[in-house]
Amino acid sequence: MMQRTSLSLATLLFCGALAAPAHADDAALRAEVEALRAEVAALKAEVHGMHLQTASPATAANATATTSAPVAATNSAAPTSGARDVAASSSSNNASGGAAGSTSFWGYGELNYNHPTARAADAQADLRRAVLGFNHVFDDATRVYGELEWEHAIASADDKGESEIEQLYVEHALGANYGVRAGLMLVPLGLLNEHHEPVNYYGVERNYVETAIIPSTWREGGVALYGNTESGLSWNLGIGTGPNLGKWDATASEGRESPLGSIHQELQLAKARDPSIYAAANWQGVPGLLLGGGVFTGKIGQGQTAPPVEKSRLTLGEVHARWQPGPFDLSALYVRGEISHTQDANLTFLGQPTPVPKEFWGGYVQGAWRAVQWGESTLAPFLRYEAFNTASAYAAQPQGLGAMPLPTERVWTAGLNYFLNSNVVFKFDYQHFNNADEELGYGKRFNLGVGYQF
Amino acid sequence: MHNPFRSPCLARQIVVLLCLASAGVLHAAPADPELIRLGAKIFRDTSLSASGKQACASCHDPAHAHAQANDAAVQSGGAALAVSGFRATPSLRYLNTALPFFFAKDGTPTGGLNRDGRAADLVAQAQRPFFAAHEMANADAAAVVDKLARADYTEQFRAIFGADIFADAELAFFAARYALAAYQGSAPEFRPFSSKFDLFLARKTALSAPELRGFALFNRADKGNCAACHPSTPRDGAPPLFTDYSYDNLGVPRNYAIPATAETSYFDLGLCGPDRTDLAARTDLCGAFKVPTLRNVASRRVFFHNGRFDSLSETIEFYVQRDTNPARWYPASTDGSVRKFDDLPPAYARNVNTSEAPYNRQQGGSPALSAAEIDDVIAFLSTLTDGYDPATGTADPARDVAPIAD
Ligand code: HEC
Ligand code: HEC
Repeated sequence: MMQRTSLSLATLLFCGALAAPAHADDAALRAEVEALRAEVAALKAEVHGMHLQTASPATAANATATTSAPVAATNSAAPTSGARDVAASSSSNNASGGAAGSTSFWGYGELNYNHPTARAADAQADLRRAVLGFNHVFDDATRVYGELEWEHAIASADDKGESEIEQLYVEHALGANYGVRAGLMLVPLGLLNEHHEPVNYYGVERNYVETAIIPSTWREGGVALYGNTESGLSWNLGIGTGPNLGKWDATASEGRESPLGSIHQELQLAKARDPSIYAAANWQGVPGLLLGGGVFTGKIGQGQTAPPVEKSRLTLGEVHARWQPGPFDLSALYVRGEISHTQDANLTFLGQPTPVPKEFWGGYVQGAWRAVQWGESTLAPFLRYEAFNTASAYAAQPQGLGAMPLPTERVWTAGLNYFLNSNVVFKFDYQHFNNADEELGYGKRFNLGVGYQF
Repeated sequence: MHNPFRSPCLARQIVVLLCLASAGVLHAAPADPELIRLGAKIFRDTSLSASGKQACASCHDPAHAHAQANDAAVQSGGAALAVSGFRATPSLRYLNTALPFFFAKDGTPTGGLNRDGRAADLVAQAQRPFFAAHEMANADAAAVVDKLARADYTEQFRAIFGADIFADAELAFFAARYALAAYQGSAPEFRPFSSKFDLFLARKTALSAPELRGFALFNRADKGNCAACHPSTPRDGAPPLFTDYSYDNLGVPRNYAIPATAETSYFDLGLCGPDRTDLAARTDLCGAFKVPTLRNVASRRVFFHNGRFDSLSETIEFYVQRDTNPARWYPASTDGSVRKFDDLPPAYARNVNTSEAPYNRQQGGSPALSAAEIDDVIAFLSTLTDGYDPATGTADPARDVAPIAD
């Protein structure tokens, strides 16, 4: 069961902190907003009822971002409103959103270098991912949207790379501002999962909370209803596959690195006895502000009895906020997950390094400052503090045989995003961990990265 | 199961070739119950040996989890049952018959039948015992077939393989091994999963406190670390088999109870020979033997490939004290120092695993498991014995063996 109190507390905290009027009388932002409003209105007039294509290809949240244009820039870490979310939704209205039968392509990629300061021999350079996406419009109401990804440069039986389909769904508009999707979709939780392009976050690596706790890029197969209101609320309700606790590996470290990341199925011959459901909402009614949250729940035993997990249920809840006053870009997120009925399974894992956790959680606060801008370019230093624990509690075991909860990991990340333009970013940062853990790759390190999107 | 002997249009020799090719997939197909029954009879037929007193079942006693029933390090065979063997008899339960020997991606030798993996499948494996001088010691296939043709299941044999099957000795001998493989590969008694531990996994019984403690010690990387080679967690929904079918060199002491060891130049080096010949050049593998399943291990009376130990407690004591107290296990050299790993030529002593727990300790250090902890591990290992009866709390692998109907 979710810890309702802590969730609502966190919500209150965010709302309290942000209750003061957003000083969005930033002239530039207003002008930009006006421009976007005009653009959207023009497009609306021009393309009758093509509500569908005014949405960003990526997400429901972006659908709102474009329809309630005031905060179109909110979803992008990029300093200007020109990040792909917006660029794509406005330009793709011309490029792909127009004629029925048209197809548009997009993509992104990132190359990273990690250098642990204490273990230079483990320094690593990696073509982290290269992604090609497509959006094919069948008619006024219907499109198919897909994202193909290659990780680690080479994927073959003898290489470590992976080739995967991250999203593939058909979307059909049912009305002016709501519709239905079916297929493989990103789970709409957190700030990063749906917006995982490198120009959309600060730091070379995606933050730990949204990789260890929310297993970005987390996707499930199923059906979702999405929509948005004039007041700036976007919502998304889904039902579909969930993780498979039956494949928990108590002997390996993956489950300690990311409990859900180790058991998500990515719609690869997914065990699908037990459906999961989710609900998520984002509110962007005030310029520069985004408030959101969501819950994902479902039985994740998928009927598996070895290990005995058929009764286990996952409940994951999350709240997030992002506020962009003037040149600042502030965000915060808190997420908590629980898995029920883990006692019997863990009894079969006695003494193993990675029993199934009962609870796991994480949260971060991040501040970035678009300190210097010239022409298309922006230099944005940022600071992020994260705390997370992938196994903060285990179900009770016979005396003396239970596993100790893991220590909470606290990570400071300080660095720079240099946006050459809104679609190309160079990154540098330094990360400090309070508990070094070689097996999980936690230890002081600096990172370099380059990313792009188109 | 596809029965190639019923193929009408193919010449016998082609059938034989086809059978050999299909033997590799034998394990996968559920076998014909008639064939399994025939295999069970051949398995128990002592008349098929030179002595007339030895069958597969003599060494692989079904009532003892298809392993040897006695506490001899090695069994004897031959016409007078006087020729000593070289290795302790393994249990035939929970063999991975689907896994011919191969090197895994990281170079780990894996799979195959026999303690050195040299037989690719059950049909190939069944050849040796019929001929080996220290086993059933038949002169050739014709000698075996001659006996098959006079067995009390001969009619059944003909019914399955054709009336004139005995006309071709090679084919008939192959047919016998085919039936044996069907029996070993498909009869439920080889994979009953009927231990207390299996009932525990299915939440049908609880383990006692010592058993649970032993289980945790077995798994813990800083204690027994046994699960590193004898995995104890389900894979893909299948119950654990307590072996990863890999090979390792434990440096087991020489067992002078095996007559062959009287010859100082004799060494059983497992993967690199002498029984196995194709890896002779891989001297880094000399001394490595297959990780056996630990299911039914508590029903054994000798342990390791050379049967060097005759109690489970001594076996586990060896694991944890090999390096902390080597003098207990190995003889002294002339200069008084302990000659560790005395069952390997000195050049191969470095092949012994000395990096992984529990045998990564120093001489004089404290063993990874205390005496009380070893008792707990034994309590746990005893839950792996097949044929557990919750009513009496006892286990007996014989309970899984179905009587053979005619
Ligand atoms: C005299 C005792 C003896 C007899 C008789 C005997 N075996 Fe064995 N069996 C052994 C020994 C010893 C080994 C281990 C051999 C090795 O590692 O080289 C073994 C190994 C095996 C294996 C491989 C097990 C593993 O762990 O990979 C199979 C299968 C097998 N025997 C089947 C049979 C069959 C079928 C027969 C009858 C045709 C038979 N055995 C007769 C002693 C015997
Ligand atoms: C590094 C791998 C490895 C580890 C760790 C390991 N074993 Fe083994 N085990 C083996 C191998 C290999 C054999 C067979 C050796 C031989 O036949 O010479 C074996 C054999 C055995 C046997 C004899 C079984 C038989 O049928 O004769 C027992 C009992 C056993 N192990 C128990 C344990 C226990 C208890 C532990 C933990 C304290 C453990 N093992 C840890 C690899 C390992």
